[in-house]
Amino acid sequence: MSEKSMRLIDLKEGQKGIISSIVGGRHATQRLTDMGLTPGTEVKMLRKGNWCPVEISVRGSNLALGYGVARKILVKVKE
Amino acid sequence: MKKITIALAGNANVGKSVIFNFLTGLHQHIGNWPGKTVEKAEGTLVHEDHTIDLIDLPGIYSLSTFSLEELISREYIAKEKPDIVINVIDATNLERNLYFTLQLLELGRPMIIALNQMDLVEKKGICIDVEKLQKILEVPVIRVIATQGKGIHELVHEAINLIERSYKKPEIEYGKEVEKEIKKIIKSLNKIELDYPKRFLTIKLLEGDEEIKKLIEKVNPKIINIVEKQAKKLEALHGHDRFTIIASERYKIANEIVKDCVTYGVCKFKFSNKLHKITTHGFWGYLIMILSVLSMFYIIFSFGNFFSDILVNSLMSLQPIFQQYFGIGIVSELAWGIIEGLIAGITIVLPYILPFYIILGLLEDSGYLSRIAFLMDRFMHKIGLHGKAFIPLMLGYGCNVPACLGCRIMETKRERLIAVFVTTLIPCAAVTTVILGLVGKYVGLTWALVLYVIDLIIVFILGRIAFRVLPGEPTELIMEMHSYKMPHLKTIVKQAWFRIKDFIYIAFPLIIVCSFLIKILDITNLSESIENLIKPVTVDWLGLPKFSGIALIAGIPRKELTLIMLASHGGTTNFGAILTPVQMIVFSLVTMLYIPCVATIAALIKEIGWKKAVFITVFEIVFAIFVGGIAFRLLSL
Repeated sequence: MSEKSMRLIDLKEGQKGIISSIVGGRHATQRLTDMGLTPGTEVKMLRKGNWCPVEISVRGSNLALGYGVARKILVKVKE
Repeated sequence: MKKITIALAGNANVGKSVIFNFLTGLHQHIGNWPGKTVEKAEGTLVHEDHTIDLIDLPGIYSLSTFSLEELISREYIAKEKPDIVINVIDATNLERNLYFTLQLLELGRPMIIALNQMDLVEKKGICIDVEKLQKILEVPVIRVIATQGKGIHELVHEAINLIERSYKKPEIEYGKEVEKEIKKIIKSLNKIELDYPKRFLTIKLLEGDEEIKKLIEKVNPKIINIVEKQAKKLEALHGHDRFTIIASERYKIANEIVKDCVTYGVCKFKFSNKLHKITTHGFWGYLIMILSVLSMFYIIFSFGNFFSDILVNSLMSLQPIFQQYFGIGIVSELAWGIIEGLIAGITIVLPYILPFYIILGLLEDSGYLSRIAFLMDRFMHKIGLHGKAFIPLMLGYGCNVPACLGCRIMETKRERLIAVFVTTLIPCAAVTTVILGLVGKYVGLTWALVLYVIDLIIVFILGRIAFRVLPGEPTELIMEMHSYKMPHLKTIVKQAWFRIKDFIYIAFPLIIVCSFLIKILDITNLSESIENLIKPVTVDWLGLPKFSGIALIAGIPRKELTLIMLASHGGTTNFGAILTPVQMIVFSLVTMLYIPCVATIAALIKEIGWKKAVFITVFEIVFAIFVGGIAFRLLSL
């Protein structure tokens, strides 16, 4: 099985990924890691619509993330 | 009687305020932290032979410096040193809550944990080994169901017990590499005496916390050099930035604790999940949102209008009785002016602001507010705000006062400022009566509609400008989506009432003074000279008749007064006879945009401080006159 790297926002609904890094300002990184989005954490894409932010499941609870931050998170996906 | 202080700390939405209200009842006060626009709730209670001062700290996720709330909380705990910190935890979301618990423990105050929402835990099929949790964390853990009042007395009892026993601070150890660096740095802090415990300082220095860095730099800048070198080493070793390294370590510990103490069974809580899916659905979600926002408006304003009419009529009927006692004359007239101001204040607060607070509280507590924010996020991004700002903006169409106060739901100062600013530009119900009564009636409804569209365009443009001009990184939406739950009505009503008390202290004096001044203008000949004084603006620049000047000034305490004064100073209620269509449009446009009413200014002062409030007020006056003059020239072409 090989691993593929992509942005969190590119995950399909129901797909899981492991966070590899966050590329963004210190501010955003700090907030995201405080909410539990640290490298190595598994996230699952629950929902993404055209007009809404994305909704993910992480560490047993659900988070809504704006498109801007969802683009800054890189994940690894098993293929 | 022994006096002790207890602080409640925890994530947002974990039931802290329910516990706070249960314990303090009516002995509480909601104000601001000194010099800050962050809410501070304080109360007292008596338990056996102790008088307890209870502080409800703001709901936060971390003790870093992302928000003012975080900074205030950690400074309070470190400097004021409450005798006990009660950490309220949402048991259904243990891992994220423990991340905060671990940081609180580092502050070194005696602590106990209130494991709240134990009823939901059961429904969700989660099983928590509380004894084990207590053993690992080395602090007492009490099971609580705050909404039913269960476990709260045990909590206080245990807190007092803990003070009387000696408290041994538990040591939470990080991973080997990080722990090695901590040991090195902590030695260099040996001679430094600050409010914070040394281990907390060390960890914050390693994280790169700017505030702590400044503190240490003042005492011994050499230490910073050592820290920076060690932090670089750690970053190279882990391949991530220093903040992420420490956060990961903490979450690793939290995760291990959860693995040790929690087992998952069958979730019986399906309804909440279904409700969540449909209320955030791409079509149904929006439909439900539109319907609920409209009905919320309908409830607030139909109730408000009805109740406010009754209040105005019954209070105004006191005037003859008043005159019987004080006679008719200048003094009595002026005294009545003060009472009129008081009536104006009461008829805003009771019929509109109180129901607004209660409904907002219900929306927030049940969890629906976060769904609305979710749905409106991308739309609100167009004016540089995120989804949560939609609520105050919508409310602005009813009354700007609760709308401004509602901007508190924004996380950062910057967001709050943009939201408040944009909100004051929304035409409220009083402005609507002016627009409809003048333009709608005499020029045509299309032109009235045009005014609203122009207003939206202005909101959009000024919002974008404020977004560009204000310093700081724009905050993206990062929001917990809690499960829906039954709101706790008793807490909401109590909170609404205590929040309003605080507002009354600021707004009422302003409204009364303003009404009094207008009364003086009205009964002396001063109004004539003021009209002459502002003639260059009203007549020469805006092209309005001279008597409209006093009408615009009369709108400062309440905007609907502009129409009444226009009639009394113009000598007729048939506005078609005294104003041209162009003058009506310009007059309405200026009324819509110029100075927010006094009650709104009071709300501004409360939310963003008086300097910014004055700035916004002055800006909007100048801007309204500018736009009005341009409109006059364009329309006269």
